[in-house]
Amino acid sequence: MSIRKTGLIAAAFVYCGLSWANPAHAEGRVIVLDSGEAALTLIDKTTHQVVGTEPTGKEPHHLMITPDGKSLMVANSVSNDLMLLDPQTGKVQRRIEGIEDPYQLGFSPDHKWFVTAALRMDRVDIYHYDGQNVTLLKHIPLEKTPSHLTFASDNRTVFVTLQDSGELAAIDLPSQTLLWRMHVGNQPAGLWMTPGDRYLLIGMTGEDDVAVVDWHKQQIVKKIKTGRGAHNFRNLDDGVHVAVTNRVESTISILDYNALDKVGDITGLLPGPDDMELSSDRRYLWVTFRFAKHVGIIDLTTRKLIDTIAVGRSPHGLYFDDHAPVLAPNPD
Amino acid sequence: MIHEILAQLDNGISALQTLLYIDVVQPFFYRFGLMGYDEDTYDALYWVIVGVLEIVVTYLALRPLEAMRPIEAWSDRRALRSDVIYTWIAKLGIINIAFFFMLQPLFDHWQSLIAIHDIPNIDVDSMWPGVTDQPVVSFLIYLIVLDFAGYWYHRWQHRFGVWWELHAVHHSQQQMSLWSDDRNHFLDDIIQAAFFAAISLFIGVPPSQFVVLVAVGNFMQSVQHVNARLPYGWLLERVIVSPIFHRRHHAVGYGHEGSRYGCNFGVLFPWWDMMFGTVAWNHTVEPTGIRDQLPAPHGSGRVYGDGLWAQQWYAFGRIVERLRGRRAYGESAVN
Repeated sequence: MSIRKTGLIAAAFVYCGLSWANPAHAEGRVIVLDSGEAALTLIDKTTHQVVGTEPTGKEPHHLMITPDGKSLMVANSVSNDLMLLDPQTGKVQRRIEGIEDPYQLGFSPDHKWFVTAALRMDRVDIYHYDGQNVTLLKHIPLEKTPSHLTFASDNRTVFVTLQDSGELAAIDLPSQTLLWRMHVGNQPAGLWMTPGDRYLLIGMTGEDDVAVVDWHKQQIVKKIKTGRGAHNFRNLDDGVHVAVTNRVESTISILDYNALDKVGDITGLLPGPDDMELSSDRRYLWVTFRFAKHVGIIDLTTRKLIDTIAVGRSPHGLYFDDHAPVLAPNPD
Repeated sequence: MIHEILAQLDNGISALQTLLYIDVVQPFFYRFGLMGYDEDTYDALYWVIVGVLEIVVTYLALRPLEAMRPIEAWSDRRALRSDVIYTWIAKLGIINIAFFFMLQPLFDHWQSLIAIHDIPNIDVDSMWPGVTDQPVVSFLIYLIVLDFAGYWYHRWQHRFGVWWELHAVHHSQQQMSLWSDDRNHFLDDIIQAAFFAAISLFIGVPPSQFVVLVAVGNFMQSVQHVNARLPYGWLLERVIVSPIFHRRHHAVGYGHEGSRYGCNFGVLFPWWDMMFGTVAWNHTVEPTGIRDQLPAPHGSGRVYGDGLWAQQWYAFGRIVERLRGRRAYGESAVN
């Protein structure tokens, strides 16, 4: 039986209203962005029950906590605004309007720069962040379809994948100019910087691998076979491993980022695993299933999917407060 | 109860969408390097499935009625072939794809301006808390508002000469059937899609309700064109548009005379015709079509095209004639 078939059978069980056991762990709310419905779903992290939905702008794709930790910033890409939410309740605190097409977002490690990738508009926008508001400094046209971004720890460089032109671009933040761009392969998406800023790992959604880029030399040093549709990353906070979703294969691969090798796969998932978040005890990996209207919870001790929860259409970004530290792309 | 049924229906369609996507569409896209269209195609597939289900349900419900209780007996059904193609094109979302590529950037920009300049729109859900935020109530409000807009859109299709030449593609079918509703000029379809999308955005129709609104509206309009005698009765035909009511609109010289005269413009509800004095309750069955299609002396035997592409192309010819100041519609025949 193929992995995808297994995933579908799992989905069928969920559609019939069945679910697995609910392990009790840390309290709090999980916030899931239903990008196809202009809404977010709130889930009780302990009971795994949906406790409500809240409206967002159109096509909310990605989210991150603000540097002061008081607000969850949701980027509504088609509504052209940022919503600041209470991270616990999902209620709107305030909106920052006039942010055009914020598909992806990120703060530099020193929180001085705020950067958005405008996927539809083929450009990257650089903003100054004063701790409360953002001020646009420059639009940088970058064809084609900039999608994911991450920063060098010196706070000078932001790296952006260009999905449709198959490239990686580097932008100098102080001068807000394009430094270079290099071809990396078919449909590059998620980016992850290894510790010490040594390599960039790039999920190649049009391929079945992760590209390892020595960005100092602008060279691909290796391609690690993962699964078809390698997409996005989450470090597992053990000093060794990072997980990557394979959106076509519907698996998650575990990579050793020191050895630059794959050490295992998590299979039996629902279709389209996309963004991930890790519980503070490093045991439970939450993942959105983009093509199944569900999120899932994986027990990393057994590497098994232990529960799935129905959410809205095209679930993408997800967040909960008591997560394990993030190394990249937006380090805690 | 209704909300639960719709939710289950949505879940069923979504499950089919996922199945088709990951087993058929996504492997193809992956193989041929088209993963840039991954997410948009997945979203569009939902509409394709809704369209196919609409066609199946409409055919199974209406075709037996046309066979058992026809209003008009036809010697053959060849004239319907192009209408069947129109229906598949419309229901499979091909018009929507054209809309997406031609007008979506404009709409995105427009939405941006609304958000940036804080232009107010109407939020129907919050008009009367406890009432209008009930899904059934808000659904009916959206249906009525969009139908009111549809009535005026239809009147303008008949009122303005160039627009009429596009709409004439719809009226040139002389054998009305369950397939007739989607027989339209593609340019008119795109204008119509933009018109209703703009209104839906303005009144805040949620995407989940928009799917049902479109599906219900399409089915009701297929019923209106059916070639079958259906017993609506005095009351029901004043609540929703019946086939005999809409057939009157298609009747040559009685329901319309190109851009010069018309009655029964209502799309789903006849109330707007009653309200604005354009209603006709006469049940007499008259020939349908356009006057200048008729042979002399009643018309000029004008050909509107037998096949789909001819029908589309001839419309542009008529528009050019009209813009040059030449009579493009058989108006002399009614003078």
